[in-house]
Amino acid sequence: MSQTIKADKTLDLKGLPCPMPVVKVSKGIKEVQVGQVLMAETSDPGALADFPAWAKTSGNEILDTVQEGNTVKFYIQRKA
Amino acid sequence: MDEKTRQDLLKLFEGKLNQAMRLYLETCSRCGVCTEACHVYASMPQAKYIAAYRAEIVRRIYKKYFKSQGRFWPSLGQSKDLTEMALEELYEAAYSCTGCRRCMVYCPFGIDTQMIMSIAKLLLVGAHAEPEILTMLADTSIAKGESLEIFREGFLAGIKRLEAEVVAKWQSQAGDTVIPVDKQGADLLYVALAGAHSIIPAAAVFNAARENWTLSFFEAVNFGAFVGDPTRTKLILERIVGEAKRLGVKEVCICECGTAFRVMKQLSGPQPFQVSSITQVHARYIREGRIKLDPSKNPEPLTYHDPCQIARNAGVIDEPRYILQHLASDYRELAPEPIYNWCCGGGGGLVALGEETLDFRMKSSRVKAEQVRKTGAKTLCTACENCHTQLSDLNQHYQLGLEVKFLSSMVAEALVP
Repeated sequence: MSQTIKADKTLDLKGLPCPMPVVKVSKGIKEVQVGQVLMAETSDPGALADFPAWAKTSGNEILDTVQEGNTVKFYIQRKA
Repeated sequence: MDEKTRQDLLKLFEGKLNQAMRLYLETCSRCGVCTEACHVYASMPQAKYIAAYRAEIVRRIYKKYFKSQGRFWPSLGQSKDLTEMALEELYEAAYSCTGCRRCMVYCPFGIDTQMIMSIAKLLLVGAHAEPEILTMLADTSIAKGESLEIFREGFLAGIKRLEAEVVAKWQSQAGDTVIPVDKQGADLLYVALAGAHSIIPAAAVFNAARENWTLSFFEAVNFGAFVGDPTRTKLILERIVGEAKRLGVKEVCICECGTAFRVMKQLSGPQPFQVSSITQVHARYIREGRIKLDPSKNPEPLTYHDPCQIARNAGVIDEPRYILQHLASDYRELAPEPIYNWCCGGGGGLVALGEETLDFRMKSSRVKAEQVRKTGAKTLCTACENCHTQLSDLNQHYQLGLEVKFLSSMVAEALVP
């Protein structure tokens, strides 16, 4: 599915200390328009748990997650 | 500020007024001993950074609304109205204090400025004037506790991918579960942070010690405590308590995160498990001969920063030094008495606020950088993620030329097979 998703902004969050992945994705989503997509790439297992929870509380939507080697790309659509 | 909001905030204030808090608010004699005790004042000598000055903002609101003198003769007492402007002052006081409690150990009355600042933070939360990032992080943590199913599979897959790194470097026994998760009947529940660096070395040491352990689904850090919201703090804490009870563990081991350890240790109440920091657990493994370390791995001069929330505020002082006896050949103390060690300057949520606080964090921690430089150490290790981030920033800003490391990672690196 992600091959058809075009990211309007990308964030490299690999290896960042706690809690920067969530902080940066939270700030990053505000830098795209409602309806646009942020792609955040992370290597931290905790982020795999944090991002879905953050999306739930912030009202945004994870459209897809794609694993590439040891990293995971989250495609997140700004909803509000 | 409308009257209803003020009354709501005063109810929150009143809820914090236990006997100890009233003592702290009524005892200060303005002796000034706390002045030089604060790393912020010592680095940037301005009156607003004196611990007693910070507390005085809260104290004057207390006098205005909770003491007869302030209520009936406000012009005679040093009282302050709770207004929007007062909230701004409370913000500056609360978020320029790292809650390190160095002032408390110098204060002849033992006044706990961090406790007084918890009133300031609670009023800010009540007025929706707190740093929204911290509340967002706390709410994310709470959502994880409510909805394990939304991340369970992704998290387990991520952990599985880390196992290869543990095996490649530390050669775990074939057939063992290298990073067990959700293991019923485990003796020890390890609560890590989001980063792989918080999990991989810890797994290597647990496996080397033949520990019957399991990894928590949840992160250790408690952003509810950083933002000073007791309700959120409790909800975040209860996720881990619930998991520990469900699995029937005997011990909850908190990773290198100072606030996480202090909150779990001091606020979780009586539980059927003991709470330990990973530093305590590693010291125990060495003492019991379950792991052996090679000190020749660290021949360079090395120093250790005591995280305030683990050492001064939770008493874990001897254990890191015991580990370092087995880990380094040239260990140098930062402070003659660890309890008087300078704070790194990153606590109280300041590091979590990221670049927004970077300039303040660097300027307010000049004394810390000087303390580290004086040791002549080439390696600075610590046992807290917050401290590690802040010390790394200081290392770069003040060009200290050090390598900043996690103590637990150094233990893993020095394991003798």
